[in-house]
Amino acid sequence: MQPGVRLFCMRAAALVVGVVFVPASGAMAAQTYGYMVSSLSTATWNDYATNCPQNLNGYGLDVTRRDLIAIGFSKEEAEKMTGADADAERLPRDVAQRLLLRATVNGKPVSHYSAPEAVPNPPVIESVVGPVALGFDLDGKITGTEFTDPETGAKIDNQLWRAIGCSENFRAIPPALPFTEELTWALAIDSAPAWMMSITGEDLTKDGPVTVTFERATKHLERDANGDVMTHATYVVDPMGRSHNVLKGEIKGGFLTVANVPKFYLQSEMPFFPEIELDKAQMRMQVMPNGKLLGYWGGYYDWKRYAYMITSRPGSGADTLGLYHSLKRFADATPDPKTGQNTQISMTYRMEAVPAFHSTVDGKILASPAADASVSAAMARRDPEVKPKAGPSPPRAQVK
Amino acid sequence: MKISILARRQVLRGMMAGSALSVGLPILDCILNESGDAFAATGKPLPERFATWFWGCGLGEGNWVPKAAGADYELPAQLAPLKPFQKRMLLFSGSHIMLDGANNNTHTTGAMGITQGEPNKQFKGSIDTIIGDHIGRGTRFRSIEVGCNGDPGATWSVREGQGRQPAEISPIKLYARIFGPGYADPNAAEFTPDPQVMVRRSVLSGVKEERDALNSKLGAADRAKLDNYFTSLRSLEQNLEVQLQKPDPLESCSKPNPMEGVDKGALSLASEAMARAGIFAQLLAHALACGQTRVVNLALTQGISPLRQEGDSTNHHAYTHEEPIDPVLGYQVKAAIFQKQYMQALHDFVQTMDSIKEGDKSMLDRMLVFAFTDHGAPRLHSVRNYPLMFFGTANGRLKTGMHVPRMGDTTVRIGFTAQQAMGVPTSAWGAGSNRVTTPISEILV
Amino acid sequence: MRKFNTKFFRRALCVAVNLLPLTFSAVHAAERASGDPNATSLRLSPAQYKQTIADVFGTNIVIDGRFEPEVRERGLLALGARWANVSDIGIERYDDLARGISAQVVGPNNRGTLISCKPKSETAADDACARMLISKYGRLLYRRALNENEIATRVKLANDAATTTGDFYAGFAAVLSDMLISPNFLFRYRTVEADPAKPGAKRLDGYSKATALSYFLWNSTPDDQLIKAAENGELQTVDGLQRQVDRMVGSPSMESGIRAFFADMLHFSDFETIAKDTTYFPRYSTKINDLAQEQTLKTIVDHVLANKDYRDLITTRDTYLTRSLAALYGVPITDTADNGEPDRFIKHRYPEGDPRVGILSHVSFLALNSHSARTSPTLRGKALRENLMCQVVPAPPGNVDFTAVEDTASETLKTGRDRLLAHSSNPVCAGCHKITDPIGLALETFDAAGGYRTTENGAKINTSGVHNNVNFQGAADLLPLIRNDRALTSCVARKIYAFGTGKMPPRGSAEWDAIEKKFGEDGYNVLRLMRQVALSDIFYAVPPAEVDTATRN
Repeated sequence: MQPGVRLFCMRAAALVVGVVFVPASGAMAAQTYGYMVSSLSTATWNDYATNCPQNLNGYGLDVTRRDLIAIGFSKEEAEKMTGADADAERLPRDVAQRLLLRATVNGKPVSHYSAPEAVPNPPVIESVVGPVALGFDLDGKITGTEFTDPETGAKIDNQLWRAIGCSENFRAIPPALPFTEELTWALAIDSAPAWMMSITGEDLTKDGPVTVTFERATKHLERDANGDVMTHATYVVDPMGRSHNVLKGEIKGGFLTVANVPKFYLQSEMPFFPEIELDKAQMRMQVMPNGKLLGYWGGYYDWKRYAYMITSRPGSGADTLGLYHSLKRFADATPDPKTGQNTQISMTYRMEAVPAFHSTVDGKILASPAADASVSAAMARRDPEVKPKAGPSPPRAQVK
Repeated sequence: MKISILARRQVLRGMMAGSALSVGLPILDCILNESGDAFAATGKPLPERFATWFWGCGLGEGNWVPKAAGADYELPAQLAPLKPFQKRMLLFSGSHIMLDGANNNTHTTGAMGITQGEPNKQFKGSIDTIIGDHIGRGTRFRSIEVGCNGDPGATWSVREGQGRQPAEISPIKLYARIFGPGYADPNAAEFTPDPQVMVRRSVLSGVKEERDALNSKLGAADRAKLDNYFTSLRSLEQNLEVQLQKPDPLESCSKPNPMEGVDKGALSLASEAMARAGIFAQLLAHALACGQTRVVNLALTQGISPLRQEGDSTNHHAYTHEEPIDPVLGYQVKAAIFQKQYMQALHDFVQTMDSIKEGDKSMLDRMLVFAFTDHGAPRLHSVRNYPLMFFGTANGRLKTGMHVPRMGDTTVRIGFTAQQAMGVPTSAWGAGSNRVTTPISEILV
Repeated sequence: MRKFNTKFFRRALCVAVNLLPLTFSAVHAAERASGDPNATSLRLSPAQYKQTIADVFGTNIVIDGRFEPEVRERGLLALGARWANVSDIGIERYDDLARGISAQVVGPNNRGTLISCKPKSETAADDACARMLISKYGRLLYRRALNENEIATRVKLANDAATTTGDFYAGFAAVLSDMLISPNFLFRYRTVEADPAKPGAKRLDGYSKATALSYFLWNSTPDDQLIKAAENGELQTVDGLQRQVDRMVGSPSMESGIRAFFADMLHFSDFETIAKDTTYFPRYSTKINDLAQEQTLKTIVDHVLANKDYRDLITTRDTYLTRSLAALYGVPITDTADNGEPDRFIKHRYPEGDPRVGILSHVSFLALNSHSARTSPTLRGKALRENLMCQVVPAPPGNVDFTAVEDTASETLKTGRDRLLAHSSNPVCAGCHKITDPIGLALETFDAAGGYRTTENGAKINTSGVHNNVNFQGAADLLPLIRNDRALTSCVARKIYAFGTGKMPPRGSAEWDAIEKKFGEDGYNVLRLMRQVALSDIFYAVPPAEVDTATRN
């Protein structure tokens, strides 16, 4: 998010353009607001004081040091090779190779990226022990592994956060987002077809049932003069329909919520978000003063796919092997019938969306931006986005 | 010693006929010394330089006028950024542009009067061209005009009969013009005239020979227009001529690093205009130091300053009219913020000129920077009580460090004094109530 | 009544904060380059220059360079062209342009198509080839045949240059470059000859007629056919002239003329100094400046070529939009181009009752006549009055007492109307502001970038007012009033004439009155108007000063 966001909020009236006289596509009874998903990232909750008290994971060099020890170097040697005068980016070639080829398949050394299961003594990284995280109660049970959601107060399932929340890559507090996700998103949205979301209801100014429809667009997101995602642009629904989701939801108590979606699926062309597939999905969102949506999607995600998405992204400090095994450890749903290993993990995404027009290929206007921010009062955000108190950054880790 | 254009052309034709060009022919020396100035390396007096610096929307009702006259005066708050140069500048106050019943075209008439001696004269030569014609012959560019907010109309330089010279708005394009292909480093050891330039120079005669044929077909008015066209053509000729001659070394000349990036074009924030003014100041200083021109003109914006502060939709000009005068402070607070910024930019410009060392002094000492504005008090579109400044000593001919009140006098006298300080042999300037025949003698050495 | 009583308003003192245009060059004579009103030569505009080069040398030639800024006189650059000359800086720029063009013409990419003769040796002079090229291109660039002396001089120069550089093509390029900075190219002259029908009298010669005609209708140089019609005397006959005019009006090149005229009338050159604050208007990126002009010009060209009533441009619901323009306007548009393809202009028709009707609801009018972060009802009203209705709005006088506007804290004055009322409640100021503000205030529902809004700073915007003694609620009922205002059609007719000749139509001319009358009878068909003007006598009239000169020969 740009630093200018606060100024945007102050100039709310100027930004929300009055859109009058756009004919409603359906009967007078239904209103439909159109949006484009302008930001998607793993929802974070970084209370540095309570999340990772042992502070074991550390930053990029710490990870490298741990890896070097794992392949047989002593602590002193590892520190020397990653010390101030060493160039950790360019370890001696043979060392780098050994670090890479830590897996063993049929007796041969193999890249641990391709065979993370075949690494002997995989690293165990610190996981989140703090009590708070964003999300939804996905299984309807209390098993003792839940977090408390800071917004709703409910007991929620987000084992993915437990697994990865102590990793440097995900230590960001909004408006900062997890580094590699933000980087990837920013690069990809200029070419990948965008995701569309519309809300339909009889009267969206009041509580009541709504339908939330997701689609993929034919074109990528547009940027405005400031480099942000442009509002009020028109997007055409991709007739292929692979990303067509029609979800039942309701506006109540200041939120728009969607519950019990057996499978929520969005396809993309982005290299690192190839698709979003959440089982038993739930959502909640609110409208910000500047007309944009802010909300969360929760559900069960294939943990292996998530792990591979992390490993294929560029970026520093991602302990890919550690994350893989951590995700595996905390996976909490849908056990494989043969091995018993859970194949899915509960998780939460953070989403932002900007007002937009939706059109079919034939020119039928399906959705329009809400005419006025006050019209969305029923789900208007009264408080700023919930965030943990920003504390000092964690000190350098102790490599043990 | 003047050499007519015909003779020059013959010289160059003669040169073209030969296969090689030898440098340093006596005739060429004469051409170069037409203005009588020469260069540091040969021990003759240093070149004269003149600069104008314009900012829009003045300084306010008059609370900026220092109480004391002469050397020991307190610099007013609006001019605080100029403090480091107080001893080397002159501050004029109190003078008016006399209208003699002429229309006061807001944000135009006053400044035209200051620069041209007569308000509302569309094609009377301005002070920079008058001085430039005297000190600037033999340079590649007769003068260089720049505007800092993307508007080529932000200029007061008028060549007699031709109208306003458009301002250069792009630092990158200015760099290319001055230090691009046509530039010859005065301090380079070798000099080889570019044969392409020789060809261009000679082929130009084709255009000139069309003149008589055209004249015979045109009415008087169009002939006059044609004359002005050929005046401009001569400056192109001049530019080419200079490129064919080995320049005299100039110790203070150094070519600035190449400029890269994208030109933004029109801008509306004061901070952006300041930044652009800073870049232009550097380029102009180099151009002066490297002998490419003797006269530079910088206008921060046109008279109606459209600049704004970040996040504020009201521009400076609107504030000068809309903002009430603070009853305690005695001036318009928001407008004063702009004024201070402009004075900071003026300080930076002067400092840039000062940073070029020539011998035991700086370029600033030897030149004259003439800073002026369009209205004394913009709120009322007043053409009275103008703040004007001189920086530098005009090669030792001006005193400095004084507040010079000129109550009731015409502002034109200030420009007239500048001309005399720069050595222009003039005995009168201006018309009507603005006509002057005597300078402000107490500031002339 | 066409004109306002300017004497009254000159006496009235005006507070006119918002009246002052962004660049104060608009109305005032301060911009005149030379003072003689009898000059008739017109400097080529940048658009004409480019179109001419494209027509003579083809569209492969890239014109990369800057031009001398144009001069606007009484609202039109075409009128200012009479004053415009070439300054020191101008000649430098034209020289750069000329060399760039010449280099490309003789360059390997274009040599095959543009240099139709082969020199005996590429590294030496060639008299015959140089002569052929110089005559051919001289005729097209100077818009007349070169005489023998001119050709011979140039051939010699080309030969000398070719010998010096050891390159035939460089030699020709040098001479071509020379011709491109010649006044014969840069200025359009009206030269005369004896009129055989009226002994002792003079008439415009064929070449001058061809030049006037082609720059009027096509905004470009006469094509070969037209020059031939000049040379063989066809243009001096009624039938011959009509044949050529009809050929030209029916040609696709007519679009250039229409575009050039309206771009001039609507002050599109001001877009060069537009800078909108993206904090307030994030959807106004710099490319909108170009898109906005293109939207309006496409709309107008479409309308005119379809022979529609000019007045309907004020109320038409048809236009063209791209996706980024539509987002700025806040309207939907379906563009089915593939992912990654650039935005296209798509025909768009606003639905019944939509507030956006006519070209006055385009960004090119609304954003152009606003400040960078704020609207100016006075500027918009002034633009409509002066640009579209030829009604003079007096300049703000210099000696003004602003004490009436002391208390303008923006907490209490929320809308543009509130702020302006604080200025013009002074009865002395209201006189002038009454001409401009009601129109501008009706358009206050469009912000400074052209976007639609119903409130400003939380307060509802009031768009009601009075025009020509008729009350209106807002733009929707004001615009039909404007449409039916006689000043609208009279103004465009006069400006079209001025575009073609560099002068406003002569006063008290019966022929001009007839042309205006016919314009109305033709349903205000702009194409037919241009045709009428091109066939009229006054279009080719010889002014007295020229008669004097001609007798000197």
